[in-house]
Amino acid sequence: MNFILKFKDIDEQREIPHENYTIDELLKDLNLSSQNIVSKLNGELVIEESEIHNNDEVQLIQIIYGG
Amino acid sequence: MMCECGKCGSGYVITKNKQSGIYLCRDCFIDSIEKKVIKNIKKENLLEKGDNVLVALSGGKDSVTLLEILNSFRERNIIDICAVSVDEGIANYRQSGINIAINHAKRLGIEHKVVCLKDEYGVSLDEIMGNNNHRGSCTYCGVFRRDIINKTAREMGATKIATGHNLDDETQSIIMNYLEGNIDNLTKLGAKTQSPADKFTVKIKPLREITEHDIGLYVIAKQLEVHFDSCPYAQQSFRMEVSQLINNLENKHPTIKYSILRGYDKVKNAIGDSLNKKFHSHTNCIKCGEPTANKLCRKCTFLKELGVD
Repeated sequence: MNFILKFKDIDEQREIPHENYTIDELLKDLNLSSQNIVSKLNGELVIEESEIHNNDEVQLIQIIYGG
Repeated sequence: MMCECGKCGSGYVITKNKQSGIYLCRDCFIDSIEKKVIKNIKKENLLEKGDNVLVALSGGKDSVTLLEILNSFRERNIIDICAVSVDEGIANYRQSGINIAINHAKRLGIEHKVVCLKDEYGVSLDEIMGNNNHRGSCTYCGVFRRDIINKTAREMGATKIATGHNLDDETQSIIMNYLEGNIDNLTKLGAKTQSPADKFTVKIKPLREITEHDIGLYVIAKQLEVHFDSCPYAQQSFRMEVSQLINNLENKHPTIKYSILRGYDKVKNAIGDSLNKKFHSHTNCIKCGEPTANKLCRKCTFLKELGVD
């Protein structure tokens, strides 16, 4: 069970670690704050509670930068 | 888990309001942001019929959102809008934002001026930062940008200057000034600020009650072209430390940014009244004629130090 992660220069296939794995958990695994990120699942804006399923494409957009 | 929009019942939600716990779909989220900004404009009397508002337009998410929402007042013939973009001269960074600003001004048919630091002062930010002796990029950028925006406001006949400061910016400024004991600067914050010097145009911050995250989500939900990028001169600053502190607090206390703002608004007038008892004199800079409390304004002081005066 895999999904595609797109974030900045990253475009890679990742394994879904467990059932009901959410975008919120993915952000925590990547050490990213949901305060700085907007998430898209298969091209649509979604809430972080959304679950990631097999063959999904997750795009994380950084909207806040320091400075 | 199935979530429904708390306003219209749609099953395609894009955000959850941290304060209320209500989920919103795309259309209801966009509507909620625009209504909140308009409510703030009315509550704080930020606009008057006939105002010519100069929007400080960088091409980033905040200024593009500001332009988009203020344009709804322009479409109803309540105000007129003009815009200015400052090109600091930062290679591989600024031009993208400037191009986006030009596109938005063209799209909306708004008079727009781009002013370059190099043309205005004979030196770009890249050249300043190429010297070993400098005060840090943000110091020059802030002072030069303010000078250009103030002068452009007069040239374009603006009655107000609107900036894209959001809730995060404002709460950071409040806490920074408290922590630094800078009570004089603390009184200068707020939704609408007017300098005692007549030459300075009134400044307004219509996005002051919208979080930075919601502004980012708004431009993406509305598919507005914006420049998302980090300034190459961004450094670990005190503002960034304060930002991290407030964001960490917000994780446990979701309403903390609003309570910082509300608390400040309550005490602002009291602090201001007490400080205003002191006489604040303003004169004109002997070099450029802009209002200043000293012989030379900060801009001319910097230009003298940089040897380009």
